[in-house]
Parts: sequence; C-alpha cells; structure tokens
Amino acid sequence: MPNFDGVSRRRMLRTAGLLAGAGVGGSLIAACSPNGEATKSAGGGSASSESFDDAIKKIVNGKEIKVGFTPPVLSENFTQIEHAAWRRMNEYEQRFGCKWVWERQAPVGDFNAVQGTLGIVQSWVSRKFDAIAVCTGANFATVQSLYRDATSKGVKIYQFNQPAELYPEDQLQTVTNVGYDNRWQSGYLAGKYIAEKLKGKGNILQIWGPSGSDWTRGRKIGFDRALAENPGIKVVGQADGGYVRDKGFAAAQDLLTKNRDVNAIYGENEEMALGASQAIDTAGLKHWDGTGGVLTIGADGLVSGYKQIKAGKLTATVDIGGVDQGQNLIEAIFLTAVLGQSVTQIINNPTQVVDKTNVDWHQSYTEWALAAPKKYGA
Amino acid sequence: MITLTPERVSPTTNERVSALRVRILRDPSFGILALLVVVCGVMAFTEPTFATAGNLTNIINAMMTVSFLAIGMTVVLIAGGLDLSVGSVMALSAGVVASCLNNGMPLAVAFVAALGVGAGIGLVNGLLITKLGIPDFIATLAMLGLAGGFLLYWTAGVPILGYMTDAYYYIGGLRQIAGPVTVPMLLVLAVGVAVSILLRRTTYGVKFYAVGSSPTGAKNAGIRVDRIKIAAYVISGLMAAIAGIHIAGRTTTVPPLIGNGYEISAIAAAVIGGASLFGGKGRVIGALVGALTLTLTRNIINLTGVESSWQAVVTGLVLILAVLANQAWSGIARSIGASRS
Amino acid sequence: MKNFRSGAARFLGIEGVPILLAFTAVAIGFALAVPSFADGDSVKYYLNEEVPIFIITAGLALVIIAGGIDLSVGAVLGLSAGTSLWASMHGFNPLVSVLVGVGTGLVFGLINGLVIVKFRLSDFIVTLGTLNVAAGLLVVLTDHVQLVGTRDETFLGLASSSVGGLTSAMVLTVLVIVALHLVLVKTGIGRRIRASGMGSAPALVAGLDVGRLKIYAYLVSGGLAGFGGVLLAARLNSVQAGMAGGYELIAVAAAVLGGVSLAGGRGGIWQAALGALLLVTLKQGFRLMGVDPLIFSIITGVCILVGVIVDRGARRFALTLRTPQPVQAPAGELQPATSKGR
Repeated sequence: MPNFDGVSRRRMLRTAGLLAGAGVGGSLIAACSPNGEATKSAGGGSASSESFDDAIKKIVNGKEIKVGFTPPVLSENFTQIEHAAWRRMNEYEQRFGCKWVWERQAPVGDFNAVQGTLGIVQSWVSRKFDAIAVCTGANFATVQSLYRDATSKGVKIYQFNQPAELYPEDQLQTVTNVGYDNRWQSGYLAGKYIAEKLKGKGNILQIWGPSGSDWTRGRKIGFDRALAENPGIKVVGQADGGYVRDKGFAAAQDLLTKNRDVNAIYGENEEMALGASQAIDTAGLKHWDGTGGVLTIGADGLVSGYKQIKAGKLTATVDIGGVDQGQNLIEAIFLTAVLGQSVTQIINNPTQVVDKTNVDWHQSYTEWALAAPKKYGA
Repeated sequence: MITLTPERVSPTTNERVSALRVRILRDPSFGILALLVVVCGVMAFTEPTFATAGNLTNIINAMMTVSFLAIGMTVVLIAGGLDLSVGSVMALSAGVVASCLNNGMPLAVAFVAALGVGAGIGLVNGLLITKLGIPDFIATLAMLGLAGGFLLYWTAGVPILGYMTDAYYYIGGLRQIAGPVTVPMLLVLAVGVAVSILLRRTTYGVKFYAVGSSPTGAKNAGIRVDRIKIAAYVISGLMAAIAGIHIAGRTTTVPPLIGNGYEISAIAAAVIGGASLFGGKGRVIGALVGALTLTLTRNIINLTGVESSWQAVVTGLVLILAVLANQAWSGIARSIGASRS
Repeated sequence: MKNFRSGAARFLGIEGVPILLAFTAVAIGFALAVPSFADGDSVKYYLNEEVPIFIITAGLALVIIAGGIDLSVGAVLGLSAGTSLWASMHGFNPLVSVLVGVGTGLVFGLINGLVIVKFRLSDFIVTLGTLNVAAGLLVVLTDHVQLVGTRDETFLGLASSSVGGLTSAMVLTVLVIVALHLVLVKTGIGRRIRASGMGSAPALVAGLDVGRLKIYAYLVSGGLAGFGGVLLAARLNSVQAGMAGGYELIAVAAAVLGGVSLAGGRGGIWQAALGALLLVTLKQGFRLMGVDPLIFSIITGVCILVGVIVDRGARRFALTLRTPQPVQAPAGELQPATSKGR
C-alpha cells in the first residue's frame, strides 16, 4: 500500500466505526486529506459538503478552545500522540475556524511523579480550561475524585493511553477514554505472536516495567492468556527493566547469562525490548531470521523502534496506535466540548503487531503525524 | 556535612604528607572487598552460571558508567564536598555528543564539546560553593535540576538517535577490541590510574585530602582551599562527561531521562568504597569496588530469580551493610596496627 | 538616618524575615500576573496538596538543626501512607490505622538514629540506605495488595474534614509546625538539641548526650514522616509505589531556603516551613502562568540558588548595619536558643 493512501483509508475505516452513532462524525473525518489540509472531496467518496463545513463553522463561531494535555512523562511515545493531535487541530482550525489554546505540562521526573499530575490538572481547572486530556500513572481512585470535582466545575476531562479497562466502566468520571485495551490489544498480541513464530514451543524471557504500574498489570493479564493457550511456551526468566533501555539491557544480559537457550524476549515496552536486542548482540546470539535466532518484541510503535525492525535488530513491536489516539482525542474533544455530542466512554483504537512485513506503512503513518504543519502551545 | 576538627599538630608540610599517607594506606574499602569475596564464593557454588566468563564480562561492562561517576565523586568527597549534579551532567554530555555527531562534527570535536560542558558545569558548581558560599548539597542539587531540565527542554523528551558509528560501538563497549576487552575497560583503567597517581603520588593530590580533612588546617598550611575545591568539582564534571560519552555508546540512544538516579549510585559507590562524607577519605580503587558492589547486587538478584520488587530493599540494605563492613575493617586494621606498634 | 539603619538592620537580622519578604514579593507578583492565583479555592487546594511537604520539612529541619540529615523522609512518608491505608482497608479502626502509619515512621526514625549514632556512620549514607529500603518495601507492598479504597469515613475524614474553612490536614500541619517550634525554642530539650547540633566539641563541653539527642531528632522526623503519610493516604485514599519519591530533596531545599544551616545548630522550624511555602508557591504560580514544567524546573533551580545567596547577603548586610565593631565568630561559643545567625 502506498503510504498516504494507506493512511487515509485506514483512518476512514476506523473512524467510521468509532463515530457510527455520532451522525456528522463520518463526514468530519472523510473531508480531510492525509496531508491534513482541508479539501472538500477527499477519498472514499464520502459525504462532505461546503454547506456542512459552513454549518459547523457557524456553531464554532471563531470560538477559542482551551485544552490542557498532560502525559505522565515526556517521551517519544507521547510526543507522537501530541503531534498527531496537532494535525487534527490544524485541520479543524482551517475548516471550521476554531482557535485552539494548547498547553502541555508533564510532571518532571519519572513515571512515579504522579503527584505532579494532580496539581497540573487542578491548576487547569481553576483556570477554567474547556478540556483536559490526562494520561497518568496515578491511582485510579485518586484521579476519579479529582475528575468529579473538575466536572462539577464545568471542565471536561478526557483520558488518553490510560489502562481504563482494568476498572469498572461505571466508575469512570471522564467524558471518554481514548486508548486501547492493554490486555488484548497489547500483551495478548505479543504473546500470541511469539507463540505463532515459535510454533507453540520455546523458552522466553520477560522484561517488565516497574512493579505495580497499570500498564504492566494489563499487559501481563493478556500475555498470561496467550501463555495459557500455548502451554509449550515456557517463561524461563523475568526481571524489572524500569521502562528504560539501559536497565532493560542489563536485565536481559543477566537473564541470558542464566539461560542461553532462549527463543524469544518480550520487552513490555519498546525501549526495554531494544535493550534486550542489544543484549542479544553482546551475548553473541543471533537475531530472529524467520526460522531461528532470538525473537524480540516490544510495545509502543516508535519511529526509533521501526528503524530497528528494518535493520533486523528488533523482530516486532505492538503499535499501540499513538497517532490514532492523538487524532481521536481531538475529535472527541471537538464533538463533545464544541458540538455538544456524546461519545462512548471507552474509545479503543486499532493496534497491530508490526514486523518487517508491515513496518513501512506504520512508520510512514507515524512520520506523517510527526510532520504536523503547525505546532501549538509554547 | 563538614566537620571542623581542631588542628593540633604538624607544622611542616612534609610531616603532614607522611601522616596522610599512613592514613590513606589504612583505608577501609577492604572491608567490603572481603564481603564481596565471600558473597561471590557462595554464588559460584550455588549458581553455576555466575562464575562464567560471559557473566563476569557482562558485570564489568555494566559497571563502567557508575565507575566513571564514582571516581569523580570520590575526588569531590575527598575534598570535603558533595556533587549531586553528576547524573544530569552525564545525561547532558551524552546529549551534546549525540547532537554534535548528528550535525556532522567529527568525533574529537564532539568529545571536546561534551568534556567542555562537564568541566564548565563543574566549574560553576565549584564557584557557587566556594565564592558564594552556597552549601554543596544545595548548589549541586540546583544544578541537577538545571542541567536535567535544560536537556528535557532541549529535546522535548524525545530521545536523540542515529549518531551511532562503527567507532562509537567500540566506545560504548558493545564491541570488543581483543578478547573480552572493551574500550571502556581500558578507559576506566587509564582514568583510574591517572586520578590515583594524582591523588596519592603528587603533593597537589595530597592537598585534596588535606582540604577535606580540615579546611582550616589546610588554609593555615598555605593551601588555597577554594582552588582545590573548585578543581575537585571540575574533575567530577569531567568524569560525568566521560560517563556521558560512554553511556551514549552503550544505550545507542540518548533519552533525556537517561541520567535519572545516577548521582545516588555514584555517591553510594564512592561511600561503599570507603570515601567519607566527612571528607579527607577515599580511594579510586574503592570507587571501583563500590561500583562493582552495586552491579553485583543487581546481577545476583536477576540470576537467583529474587522477585524484582525486592531490588530496592536489597540495594538499601547492601548500602548500610557495606558501610558497616568498612567500619568493622577499620576497627580490625586499627587493632592490628595498635598491637604491632 | 541612623535610626532607620539600625531599624532596618534589626528587621533584616530577625531570622526568617528575608524569606518572609521573598515570599510576600513572590505572592504579590503572581497575584498581579495571574488573577486565578489569589482565588481562595485555588490557594486552599494547592496548600492542602502540599501538606506532606510541610510536615516532612518541619521534621527534617529539626534533624538538620541537631546536626544530621534525613534523606529517608520522602520514602518513609510513602511507606507509612501505604501501611496506614492497608490497616484501614483491613478493617482496623482509624486510631489503629493512624498508629500503624506513625509507627512505621517511628521505626524508621529509630533505626536511622540508632545506626547513625551507635555505629558512627554517615547520616547521609544510612538514610540513603533506609530511603531505598522504605521505597522498596512500598513496591513490595503494592505489588501484593492494591492499596485502593478504604471505606472508613473517619479515617478519610482525618485529612478532608472542614475546620473553619480549612481542611483538617492543613490545621493539623499548622499545629505540628507550631508545636515543634515551641519544643525547639521553649523547652530545655529543644535548646539542648540545637546546642548539640552546633558541633560536638562545645556540646560535649556543656555535658550533653549528643547521641541521645540526635536519636530523638530522627525519631521526631520519622514519626512526622509517618504522620504525613497518614494524611496523604487519607486525602488520596490510594497509595502506589514510588509515592512521595524525591520529596526529601524538596524538603532539604526548603529548609535551607528558610535559613536552616546544613552545618547544624542554626535555623528554626517555622522559617523552614516558610521555605517550603515559598517553593510550593513558586510551583503553583508558574503552573498557573502556564509555564512549561521543564523550564519550571530550571527556574526553580535558579530560584533556590538566588534565594540562598540573597538570604546570606541580607544577613551579612544586616550585620554590617548593626555592628560597628568587628563581630566575634560564634563558632566556638554556645549560642542561646534564639540564635540570630551570622
């Protein structure tokens, strides 16, 4: 599939499903060309019209929409999501004349700096933002009471990339959660991919993120399911890689020392999987070549990871749909905060295992998002 | 953090120097070394993969980053200071190297730039502490935030990629030059020997111990205390820069949070190796023993399959235990010395 | 003119005045720059949020004045939050839950004090070790139990009941600071703690049991960290690994900004609390101005440096104004409890 054609079709397929009940949603999306410019008749032959755009424009009426965006930490993954959001904002700005005020604040420190998130959200509430988009390592219960308070003050809260699937949906105090299911759309996929490639038999190592994080919990549930379905796959070692490369590297090295007879290494995120890949090199082992060697798989969908897949250093990764998350987050904000529509509480985006066979279009899609024509915020 | 011990004796510099030499030789880092030997012996019997050549070279390669930092930290501690900024300085230097290379500069220029950043920050630390009288803890803590914040802001959280060349794989220790020997091993050796000679074989080096054990005494003996302290922070900054150059090669990308927590590892390694936060004590070989202790702890946890959530608890206990072992060793050494004389 | 000079000198020479002036200036500046800064709810929220920082700063200040340092306070706070919430979730009554939390802190304080004093080890390293132990134990605890949601309203009410427009957590914090201040300046034991922090030699001359006093200081610091943890758990009703990590560095910076000397013996509790107030206010102000937290961490670094420099400068200035005759260096002498510093 050529890059941008693939982008556009995939996006339309997806968003048509997402906004099936939202009426105008389908046309909002379809009218956008992959380059993010407002074209009146883009692919798919969908029903966009000038009168539609004009009607929305009238409702928007040059309004200013204040959005706060707070990821748990600054990283390549969240940069991709933010750039994808900017793309969609730019599109709506050109077509409907809405003005965006964008503020990104991340707590300084690592994934554990959750107290910072609470303060950031609270300050945006007191500054009367229209919409606040949150992804945080903070506890579910903690943030729900914060969200309830914000909602009562007329500020709409959205979550992105948050493992909301681990908690009862009726307790969520958000407008919507734009993300994916860590269990079945990430952990399970990785486990199943390993089992398929190894033909149901082999020894694997697991490098996990910090104990107790919701992402880790979710992905573990999914991976365990895949293990249960494939009893021939044995976990011969696991360690904490702290979500960072050098710790993932060292942990994989230690585990490989103990067990050289390893067929695959699962890194719960991509940085750790890339660290594991380096450990394979230094241990003098072979990377997976389709039949033998050590298979490595991570999860995120970063450009740096895609490059390593092409170079044969990383076998695969789970693209968790960061670009779609960013775009759909803005769409959900626009539909609910500006047009007053309702959307479902959980909006899960497509994810996919990316390996050499499909890395090209995933990489192009991500790079397209990163080349957003306009930056918002500071 | 600095105790002022009243100066009692030694009017001549020579006497002072020889007295210091004796004290240095009795340095207590053998306590932890003895402990390590016992632990390694037990491991070798219970875990067959532990005492393999592969595992040992892994451990040595993994301890390189902390080793550089710990050598620099030891120099600062000897001079009676403390440098909390090394983690950030290391990360910033790594970022400088990576982006210089990405901008097509030759390797040498990139290294000089990184070393310049490290030495520059060290100089600022030293000036803040000596000329403005800001406590070392606070000045270097502020610098930790400054340098780290600058790197985060500069990169917007996105790792720097694509600077790896063949030569850099050697610098990172990912490729061996002969047998199991890697460039960082030789570099640690060279730097370690150089600093060690500086500290223990030159009169200039002895001044670091003098300043650390008694600033007023050193001042009375005609030592320019401020200059020595500044020099110590510059050395620490340089070491952090070398660590940055190395880690950029080891991880092959530079995420801006790459230095998080390394300052604590560096202090821990230096102190495990016998350096004292009260100043005037410490040796390069001790710093390396300290770095080895920390790396071994993690390696043993991973090899024995201890639940990884216990890692921090074990590290904390090892830290206290190591200092206690050193204390005990000093006691033994003192009693031996007393019975001989 | 002379009158004014001596007046200014006396004013600036009072401990805590420079930091108070700095805080006032910062607060007025922010209020002018961002209208929402002075909003009552917003002020109440951010102060309530920072309650743990104030409490550990108070305890840490005592340890520093006693001539030590306690880096474990943040991690112990997090662990105590975990243990107290665990107790409450398992049906223990609120008083027991509080005692479990405070007790956790006291145990760590006792271990810190005993190990440092009895084995004559570096306070920095020992508390760095216990920091790791406490943080690690919280990881282990949260790895096995999800610390979410006690239904005990009394326990939760400990932090969030309304007392005269303030939350109970804020009122308790003020009480802690005032009580600790009074202990330090009004009681014999407080004066002895300060004296012992001024340096071992003069303290020994004065016949003080320096070791015992230090252990007391670590006990108080640990207990307060435990109490802060209880309040944090009660406010959030959830605890996770890594909670309050890094708080110790904020607390040290706050204490030093407030004029507490890391060399021991100098400074006071409420001045340290003011230092904390200045730091958290800077954070809140920048946040409301929409300053990128990345730049914000740079600005905070600069502010700490400038704050310490200004504080020292102001005191020196006050001294030059006040004293025509050369000042006697107070290093060797035993200062009274209300030391004016140098």
